[in-house]
Amino acid sequence: MKASIYILIGFLFAIIESSLLSFMPAEFLKPDVTIPFVVYNVFFLSPQAALATSVAMGIVQEILSNAPGASMIFTKIIIFLIALFFKNKLYINSRYSFSYICTGAVICESIIFMLLKWLSKGESGNVLNILLFMAPNAVFTGFVSIFIFSFIGFLNKRYLVREQN
Amino acid sequence: MKTPLVVIIAATIILIISFFIFTGTPVFVNNYWKIKVFCGEITGPVLKALGKPYIGIKYLFNTYINLIDAKKENYALKKKIDELLLENQKIPELENENKRLKTILKLTESNPDTSVVARVIGEDLKNWFKCIIIDKGRDQGIKEKMPVITPKGIVGQVVEVNKWHSKVMVINDTNSSVDVNIEGRDTRGIIEGTGYTVLKLKYITKNDEVEVGDRLVTSGKDSIYPKGMPTGIIIAINKNKAGIFYDIDVMPYNNFKRLEEVLVIKKR
Repeated sequence: MKASIYILIGFLFAIIESSLLSFMPAEFLKPDVTIPFVVYNVFFLSPQAALATSVAMGIVQEILSNAPGASMIFTKIIIFLIALFFKNKLYINSRYSFSYICTGAVICESIIFMLLKWLSKGESGNVLNILLFMAPNAVFTGFVSIFIFSFIGFLNKRYLVREQN
Repeated sequence: MKTPLVVIIAATIILIISFFIFTGTPVFVNNYWKIKVFCGEITGPVLKALGKPYIGIKYLFNTYINLIDAKKENYALKKKIDELLLENQKIPELENENKRLKTILKLTESNPDTSVVARVIGEDLKNWFKCIIIDKGRDQGIKEKMPVITPKGIVGQVVEVNKWHSKVMVINDTNSSVDVNIEGRDTRGIIEGTGYTVLKLKYITKNDEVEVGDRLVTSGKDSIYPKGMPTGIIIAINKNKAGIFYDIDVMPYNNFKRLEEVLVIKKR
């Protein structure tokens, strides 16, 4: 139940971002709003729910992007697996630690995408482009994830608390 | 809590399938395409609905930016003058829109029944790729590989069509290339996207005649863009680059960050 609500919110956030960016000249400030939902679900929900979120967020991002087929699903699943590995090793105790993990996840995603292109097609065409936007994307996603974490916290406290019992 | 093995196996299977889709294995691609189109058709109405308040938000956004500039320039002006200025800002915005729509209308009248005017309702979520989303789709007769233009010049080509909306790959995307001629010269080359505003004109040999300021028009030989459409202007030529070709920078006529209405050419 919780996972489907988070997927729905992630879907809406992605659409709002796409719609707003069409007239806001913010090329360097494009946060990946789907990453915080993937990371949150891995750390706070069941692995099954997190896997479903990763696939859903990957598809949403591909619908609203010119990304090659299934590349975003691929990167999101890798992020899911890495986050799952670190689930018992890292401890998220505040929105700031959550933000650091989201920043790291965006950097990781950029590297995974470059590797995927290089492994499958023998070249990484827009490598410079990806490297150029990697750091601003990561920092801005980290910044946005602070608010997303607080928003999810608010939702849980206000509406979804019953499910925890 | 230990991770169930079944989740790891499921994730690995999805990972392998997505890798095959990425590499273009037909069996996987066809099924994935159906899923993507289905999901796209759910997204379309939401995106369109969000595009409506977009005009209001855009007005507020522009007003806010203008206000900051006005505050810097006219810090000492009185409150009443600020209010008048705010009201006056509506007029140039309306005038600009009127002007833009008039030029689009003129272009549409010259291509009756062969073009569709579309509004830009979204932009690529990733800055690794350059695409725009327009509010016209399959229902309006849009098909893949249709060229998208503005009165200034070409914008890109349709790469994905859904019931409600379509995705347009802009010519500055790294996967885009356009066959062009240099206007007034017997020289042909390929414009390739770089992911940034400036494009690259490739395959112009050092024997070819080319100058900074030369205008580029589509050659029509790539069977996507109609012949003679303005594309861009040469802004820099690196003649010292090793090899047989020049390194040429091209500035497109369109500012792809400020597109509001575009024209999709249905027949060529």
